[in-house]
Amino acid sequence: MELILKIAWRNIKRHKGKSFIIGVILFLGALLMTLGNGVISGMDKGIESNIINGFMGDIAIISEKEKTDSILMKMYGESIETIPNYKEIKAILLKENYIESFIPVGKNMVMVLSEDDGDPWYMYILGVDFKEYKKMFKGNIYAIEGRLLKDDEPGILVPAFMRNELYTRMNIWMIPENSKLVEDNLSDDARPYKDELSLKTNAVFMGARNDSSTSDIRLAVKGIIKYRALNTFWGHFPITDIESYRNCMGYFSASELAVSISKDTQKLLDAEAENLDAMFGRDSLIVSDTGSSDIGSIDFKKKELTTKTGLDLESGIYNCVFVKLKDSSRLERSVNMLNAKFKQAGMGIRAVTWKKASGFIGSMAVLIKGALFVFVMILFFVAIIIIVNTLTMAALERTTEIGMMRAVGARKSFIGGMFLGETVILSGIFGGLGFILGIIIVNIIPLLQITTSNDLLQLLYGGDTFKPFLSFFDMLFVIIQLALVTIITVLYPVKVANSITPLDAIARE
Amino acid sequence: MDIIDIKGLVKNYPLGETTVHALRGVDLTIQEGEFMSIVGPSGSGKTTLLNIIGCIDFATEGSVKVHETEITALTDREVTDLRLHKIGFIFQTFNLIPVLDVIENVEFPLLLMKNQSKGEIRKRADKLIDEVGLSEYAEHRPAELSGGQRQRVAIARALVTNPDIVLADEPTANLDSVTGAQILELMKKMNEIEKTTFIFSTHDEHVLKYAQKIVKIKDGRIER
Repeated sequence: MELILKIAWRNIKRHKGKSFIIGVILFLGALLMTLGNGVISGMDKGIESNIINGFMGDIAIISEKEKTDSILMKMYGESIETIPNYKEIKAILLKENYIESFIPVGKNMVMVLSEDDGDPWYMYILGVDFKEYKKMFKGNIYAIEGRLLKDDEPGILVPAFMRNELYTRMNIWMIPENSKLVEDNLSDDARPYKDELSLKTNAVFMGARNDSSTSDIRLAVKGIIKYRALNTFWGHFPITDIESYRNCMGYFSASELAVSISKDTQKLLDAEAENLDAMFGRDSLIVSDTGSSDIGSIDFKKKELTTKTGLDLESGIYNCVFVKLKDSSRLERSVNMLNAKFKQAGMGIRAVTWKKASGFIGSMAVLIKGALFVFVMILFFVAIIIIVNTLTMAALERTTEIGMMRAVGARKSFIGGMFLGETVILSGIFGGLGFILGIIIVNIIPLLQITTSNDLLQLLYGGDTFKPFLSFFDMLFVIIQLALVTIITVLYPVKVANSITPLDAIARE
Repeated sequence: MDIIDIKGLVKNYPLGETTVHALRGVDLTIQEGEFMSIVGPSGSGKTTLLNIIGCIDFATEGSVKVHETEITALTDREVTDLRLHKIGFIFQTFNLIPVLDVIENVEFPLLLMKNQSKGEIRKRADKLIDEVGLSEYAEHRPAELSGGQRQRVAIARALVTNPDIVLADEPTANLDSVTGAQILELMKKMNEIEKTTFIFSTHDEHVLKYAQKIVKIKDGRIER
């Protein structure tokens, strides 16, 4: 071994040009691989952290009737089954010491009705007890106009992303009540028409449920918000208070029985609330054209809610419960334990991981991660081809030397070891330097606080700030990748070198 | 005692649609400790004969025994080990490993054998370097030596393992006449000191005076 390494090292020094080329390729490969893995891990960690801490916790508890686990952004805007027995769920969750916090939420799709002559548009909506929501997802949203909801206050917080979407689809520009247009916040599409914008401080929302038993409600915009991270994705989710949400979806509110009621029953109830529109069907409501943009002049069904304190909000209907764990690494185990409890209690609910519940967002992350991995692998594939070619040429150039070594008694394994030794030394030095530089860069980048508002970059960053990260296992993975590259690159050149015989050396001379 | 016993050796090289008959039925025995020369014009088959004896080429037909071991039936690993332990080589030019100095080149076969300590290996290499008169060049690389000095190193390296046979294919071909004569004298001296069988090929009639026994070869056949 000592002899092999001695010859290998001296050959590296003897063939400085070739060694340098191979070294530079290995250096760049190791550097890119380390950075790539850092970005992938950072993205993974960022997305996990931003989803868990900023939006839905580690686990979502949903109805057993729910066909798929992916409840966040369902295809075709299907509604989510309700979980009417929240208090029983709460009793179980409180006993589990691995759970840090939890919050019941309403989550479904609603239709934003046009009060001009435009088409309606759809959006997801989150209904929460905002006081509890703030505690669980502390600081995950902030108002760029207006303010956040006060405790038990009815109203809606519209994400800036959704406001732009509504402008594009419905030609309305939402602003918080009692506020003025903030020109700096106008989208690029809206800015040229700032003087002609149809400003709205409230809108009528109609719940979209599978059984068509919906209701509509006018909600005042209290604030235009942004999520701290992944704003484009979470920007699909305006937040409203749970009571308004229940009214909008046609569920009984906390002050009523915690059951889902039929469309006809709701209509009757609506009629009692002096809303004759409901009696004549939804179609007539949607197509009505008053030719006016005055919000108050159209006779939409309007359950104008006022702040009600002291209500037992938990007695109403929810769609799911978001659960945060004390230790996110015990996710699968915790889900299994919860499901065992739910099954034993016959509660008709199940727990699913955030990865499954977040559906397409988790898939996007996997896609980007896969694309990055493929990119790194392609780089390495190219590097491997260049190194293999260079080493093979080196083997052929050394035919007389190798042939002579074989003639005096060197086995094929000695020749192979010599080439492997050269590549291992080059990998160790140049690859090692690339690896160390990669680690340094990965640790410096988060200090630079590089932020983005670009959708794709936010996914790549795993949030709005670029924070590549390398765990011990990531570093081990890079070392294994480098070792694999070293072995792969040396296989063919060794085969060529091993096929050189003393006769080849004689023929060469 | 016969150290080499060749019977009916045939070597053919296919060359496109034709076949080159390099050896056409060679019978030859070589005694232990001989200093023998194989003489013949270019293309006569002397290098092919040496290569087959040295296990770096294989016979098409016939039997070749080295120390009563039939070498035509050995595997690659077996012939490699046979070359390492029983045979020493001196080639015309490409004798030395460029990245190793003189003493390391001489030590090289012993290090491959892995049956001696570093101290023993160094002692043996030093002795042979001294015998070939290159002690002061022990730490020089091949590129820093003359052609004659390189051949001396090759002789030392060929003898360092105490082989049964040393094969030298035209060892003086690339040397001037004075240096060539010195090399042959050295080989003769080493043959006497180490009692090793030397077989060398040449087409130079002037070197024949050094040979104890001469075998003439022409058109792939031994001339009697």
